Amino acid sequence: MNTQTIPPLAPDAPVVLEMTNISKSFGAVTALVDVSIRLRQGEVLALVGDNGAGKSTLIKILSGFHQPDTGTIVSQGKEVRFASPRDARAHGIETVYQDLALIGDLSVFHNMFLGREYHKRVLGLNLLDNRKMREQAQLYLDTLGISIPSVNSTVDLLSGGQRQCIAVARSIYSSPKILVLDEPLAALGVRESAHVLGLIQNLRQQRQVSVILIVHNYNQIFEVCDRINFLHSGEIALDASTADTSEEELIRIVKSGLGRKAIDAAAAQVRPGPA
Amino acid sequence: MPPTAIQPTKKNAVGVKVPRTMREQLLILLSRYREASIAVVAIVLVIYFQLGSDGGFLSPSFMSVVLRDTGRLGLIATAEVMLMITGEIDLSLSAIFSIAPYIMALLSVTYGVPLAVGAVIGVLIGILVGAINGIVTVRFKVPSLITTVGTLFFLQGIVVSIYNSQPIVAPVEQPFNAIFGQSLYQPTDALLSWHGVTAFTPFLWALLVVLVLALVLNRTTFGLHTIATGSNIIGAREIGVRTDRMKIYNFMIAGGCAAFAGIINTAQFTSADPQAGSPFLTLQAIAAAVIGGTSLLGGSGTVIGALIGAFVVASLNNGLVMIGAQATVSDIYLGAAIIAAMILSIQVDRLRTRRRV
Repeated sequence: MNTQTIPPLAPDAPVVLEMTNISKSFGAVTALVDVSIRLRQGEVLALVGDNGAGKSTLIKILSGFHQPDTGTIVSQGKEVRFASPRDARAHGIETVYQDLALIGDLSVFHNMFLGREYHKRVLGLNLLDNRKMREQAQLYLDTLGISIPSVNSTVDLLSGGQRQCIAVARSIYSSPKILVLDEPLAALGVRESAHVLGLIQNLRQQRQVSVILIVHNYNQIFEVCDRINFLHSGEIALDASTADTSEEELIRIVKSGLGRKAIDAAAAQVRPGPA
Repeated sequence: MPPTAIQPTKKNAVGVKVPRTMREQLLILLSRYREASIAVVAIVLVIYFQLGSDGGFLSPSFMSVVLRDTGRLGLIATAEVMLMITGEIDLSLSAIFSIAPYIMALLSVTYGVPLAVGAVIGVLIGILVGAINGIVTVRFKVPSLITTVGTLFFLQGIVVSIYNSQPIVAPVEQPFNAIFGQSLYQPTDALLSWHGVTAFTPFLWALLVVLVLALVLNRTTFGLHTIATGSNIIGAREIGVRTDRMKIYNFMIAGGCAAFAGIINTAQFTSADPQAGSPFLTLQAIAAAVIGGTSLLGGSGTVIGALIGAFVVASLNNGLVMIGAQATVSDIYLGAAIIAAMILSIQVDRLRTRRRV
């Protein structure tokens, strides 16, 4: 695997998001304990951890789908509280979920514009402007280089990779400040993966979008990410810059999985990330 | 995805087959134009009854019976389609069908409230019951099948206890009568006379409601969000669709439609019968919806199909009697038709997904 060189993050890049001491339980199950993460402008942060470590819960809190039991979220310097996904989106946080928030029975272009439909007034009625949405969707997918048979086809009938591309395209359409991707490469072939990773790089460099990426494939982390946060049993066990650690080291730490102390000891061996 | 050797046009992109065989093309037609397949059934049925009755089936007076039933059933079937698209169902519609006109007639007889005002109150009551059904279903997470069986008995109990199951003669006058539901077409009527046209108003109302809801479903944000709610509720919620509200609103639409159907029915019979709507009416409406191409799985459905489905059910009910079969025979056909329609619908969906046509 060729490791791309990541242009270093500007040292004065402002912090765009700070989640502090977030805890969340579902009944008797504790999902997150005092988790804190921070994200700077244009930074790509990898969130890694085994199944059930709390990654999904954390991003669902960030995207307003769950509310934290304790802890604060500061976005663009202001403390915010997200009661719904709508709230989070209004603050420029877009999320693409693992379970692909696409509507199988709707066409590609309707999916692209769901929740932000174009309208036209016909005889005083506020009707959907399907033609405009169709054209815009086609144009937009073309600029991203995503090829599907037709924007009219129902999402159900597309392949997994095509669906993932539509989902990512959907989420970056509104030029978010923070993009959260939950395992965006899970169902993709090599070429499509490279395409999505390229998209992430572009977003980061050209639009200064910050990205939180949940990934399981560690070499992909080193291709695009600035920093890694390792979640273990609902706690952050490692916070390191990709420049300061290596794939082998990361895998060793993740594999050890012996609980907090062992992880801490291992984490102490690599230099901590920028404070 | 690996590049394929030949990529002649965009339409031939990876993963999508261009349909070639007759069977695949038929599948596309069936899945894309569900209304078309049921319309074919309806036409075959009309021809069959027309021949079997020596031309009596398509006479204006007989059609006014069939279309009266089609209108009544079609309104309720359409209401069910909206709900079935969101993944819910309402079994209390027959009780709303009874209680709304009953209250309209009661207000008129007891307090002298004009029927038009009573009709508005009746529809509002239907909408209110729909809201209650929706809120109980969504907020308390009671399956709508159970919620609405509850309201069915509750409302039915109320309406029969008001006057000890006695029908109230509604003081229906012109033009209320003509607008909402005239007596049936008489052999002496001319087709273009006032009475000749207004004999079909129940059906015309249903047609209007169906066209409006078809527009809502296919051309508005409300319709898009309704489909999204039933297709992938978690995904829709993550995107920011207010799925709970969508369900409640559609319960309200359904309640309003059922109340309206009941008022039309009462205008026609000039009498509000507390037992006008038996639960059987709701089941027939669900049958019409299913025959018309709406699956119970949510996410898709057609209101125009539901109206055609209602026409098929009404034709079976009346036509079989007309050609000399016993009244009960129509239920045998209806039962078989429901099962056949459901099997066809599911098979078409499966084949469509597997072949990606």
